[in-house]
Amino acid sequence: MSYILYAALAIGFLGLLFGIILAVAARFFAVKGDPRIAMLREALPGANCGGCGYPGCDAFAAAVAAGDAPVNGCPVCSKEAREKLAGIMGIEAGEVEPLVATVMCRGSLENAGVKYDYEGITDCTAAASLAEGYKMCHYSCMGMGNCVRICPTDAITIENGLAHIDQSRCIACGKCAAECPRGIIGLIPKSQQAIVKCRATEKGKSVREACQAGCIGCGICEKKCPVGAIKMVDNLPVIDWDTCIDCGICAENCPRGCIAFVGDRPKVAYIDESKCVGCTLCKKACKFDAIEGELKVAHRVLPEKCVGCGECIKVCRTDAIHMIARKEK
Amino acid sequence: MSLRKVFMNGIIKENPTFRLVLGMCPTLALSTAAVNGIGMGLATTFVLVGSNVFVSLLKNFIPDRVRIPAFVIIIASFVTIVELVMKAYVPSLYEALGIYIPLIVVNCIILARAEAFASKNGVVASAVDGLGMGLGFTLALTLLAAIRELIGNGSIFGMQLMGAGYQPVLIFILAPGGFFTLGLILALMNSLTDREKA
Amino acid sequence: MEKFVGIILIIISSALINNFVLSRFLGICPFLGVSRKVETAAGMGVAVIFVIAMASVITWVVERVILSPQWLLALGVDQAPDLTFLRTIAFILVIAGLVQFVEMLIQKSNPALYSALGVYLPLITTNCAVLGVAIININKGYDLLQTLFNGIGSAVGFALAIILLAGVRERLEDAEIAKPFLGFPITMLAAGLMSIAFLGFSGLIK
Repeated sequence: MSYILYAALAIGFLGLLFGIILAVAARFFAVKGDPRIAMLREALPGANCGGCGYPGCDAFAAAVAAGDAPVNGCPVCSKEAREKLAGIMGIEAGEVEPLVATVMCRGSLENAGVKYDYEGITDCTAAASLAEGYKMCHYSCMGMGNCVRICPTDAITIENGLAHIDQSRCIACGKCAAECPRGIIGLIPKSQQAIVKCRATEKGKSVREACQAGCIGCGICEKKCPVGAIKMVDNLPVIDWDTCIDCGICAENCPRGCIAFVGDRPKVAYIDESKCVGCTLCKKACKFDAIEGELKVAHRVLPEKCVGCGECIKVCRTDAIHMIARKEK
Repeated sequence: MSLRKVFMNGIIKENPTFRLVLGMCPTLALSTAAVNGIGMGLATTFVLVGSNVFVSLLKNFIPDRVRIPAFVIIIASFVTIVELVMKAYVPSLYEALGIYIPLIVVNCIILARAEAFASKNGVVASAVDGLGMGLGFTLALTLLAAIRELIGNGSIFGMQLMGAGYQPVLIFILAPGGFFTLGLILALMNSLTDREKA
Repeated sequence: MEKFVGIILIIISSALINNFVLSRFLGICPFLGVSRKVETAAGMGVAVIFVIAMASVITWVVERVILSPQWLLALGVDQAPDLTFLRTIAFILVIAGLVQFVEMLIQKSNPALYSALGVYLPLITTNCAVLGVAIININKGYDLLQTLFNGIGSAVGFALAIILLAGVRERLEDAEIAKPFLGFPITMLAAGLMSIAFLGFSGLIK
């Protein structure tokens, strides 16, 4: 019986001693740090096993906060913990816009012309170095799956010789972008809906012959953009993310279909003729000249010019305008 | 997740030695003889099940800030129990495993499972997970030990298999053998999984 | 003089002949995890020497004072209670508490030192090496001075092994390695070869 007492006393004493020392030390030696690192550290398991390649959970948390380590680098983490970590990094969205990876090519075997049958190593670098690749376009996706293999969340699949990224699974770690030998995977803001899906810098006939979905550099998108967010550089449209309002007009007008529109369909205004009294208030409010109609005659929205800003709806007195989805091409 | 899935998870999909690559110290040190491998594996399994169950029972009472020290104490208690039981009932195995029995405390597998599974799941599921992981570890350890013992000593579980003319490759029972065998097996696993992925 | 020679022998044996990582297989997890670059490996090595030296001494004190309190006999108690079965629990408590305390101390008093090696300290708590040294010291019945130098010697051996492996791994980064061997397998093979090299020390002390 006394042994149990001695054992309990001994361990109890040690525990109490160290507890007191640590509590006092924590008071006296408190140091202020980046609160985000502390939050990340809380969400981590704290096993300090070194499996992530960093010396301990503190170092890994610091690396994630600095953007050096991917959020899922910890092998001990449960799925909920990983989501928590991603959430912590995404919460600071005010300073850091959440990104997502996207494949900037639509050269599937259906669209792209093929020079020869490739039967070599299933590796994109190898395929691309053999006579500049088996597809006629020198900038296209090789579809051998280097990106698939390196993706830590299995977000990438190859369909018909073209890589596709599932945006819901992508954690924007950037590994696929670094791995692609053609450099056609890029990290773009998750909120950006209009994306240019071609990297061919040639124009006109040579692109048209190489791939059905390639950008021929016609510049129609630059002309049609209502806010001037697109500039043609090297025969390719470059969209300024901050200016772009995701109206979808560029995607609608592209003759080759190389600007993709992801997410919800863009909206355009629609005037119910039975309710419209022709007061011209909406026509004056529209900055894009998208409404036509004379006084006292029912007005009409020109969907090819409407960007879906909704200013007309604000001024209409008879509740005659509402938003509908822009029709797909 | 069904209990059967939890159990099989520890043996195949998330095998602690071959997939998670945790708990390397006892794996390399004790895979010199197959019987040592099984002994260590079973001792670890016992500690895993016990600590998983207790952590799961107490998970609502342990404050978050001190959870790691609390887990460590629970694990240390179970290791002490295993140590004393082995010393009393299987003294030869106790001698053979030596210093590695108390070192089960710092085996990354146990702390990792307590943190990743037991602190978030019910008692029965945690026990089954502990059992699965422990058996997965035991199987891996025994496999490694069997290979090393066979090549390095010509025997398995003490039974001489190779004939008298066999020159045992001593290096396999010594320290370097552990590294080599594990490295080659991991490479084999990688090539098998790559083939099924591609 | 004899004592001095004894200590030198202890250091050599613990650092080279019974090298912690390559012969005794203690401390493999951090050995594999933190040996990607020579810089981090060096930081880890220094931190380990620091922690093990302190932990050896303090656990020795705990053993002599609490677990096997022979000093009670001098006070007139006829039988000192044998609490050695609590060794595992007591030691791990002490090591965890000690490391936590030292980390806080360094973080506050010397931020430069903290950013260099403080981050490795929590990792060392669950490192088999620390607990392993503590228990080996007790098993061999060393006195305080021998304990201290056994600890330092073992830690120096660990640091040596991890820095060497980091050097090898840095070279491997540029090598063309077959796909199944990437990552752990090739590291294991490299460590195995190093282990063979260290076997060469085994005849050093009779």
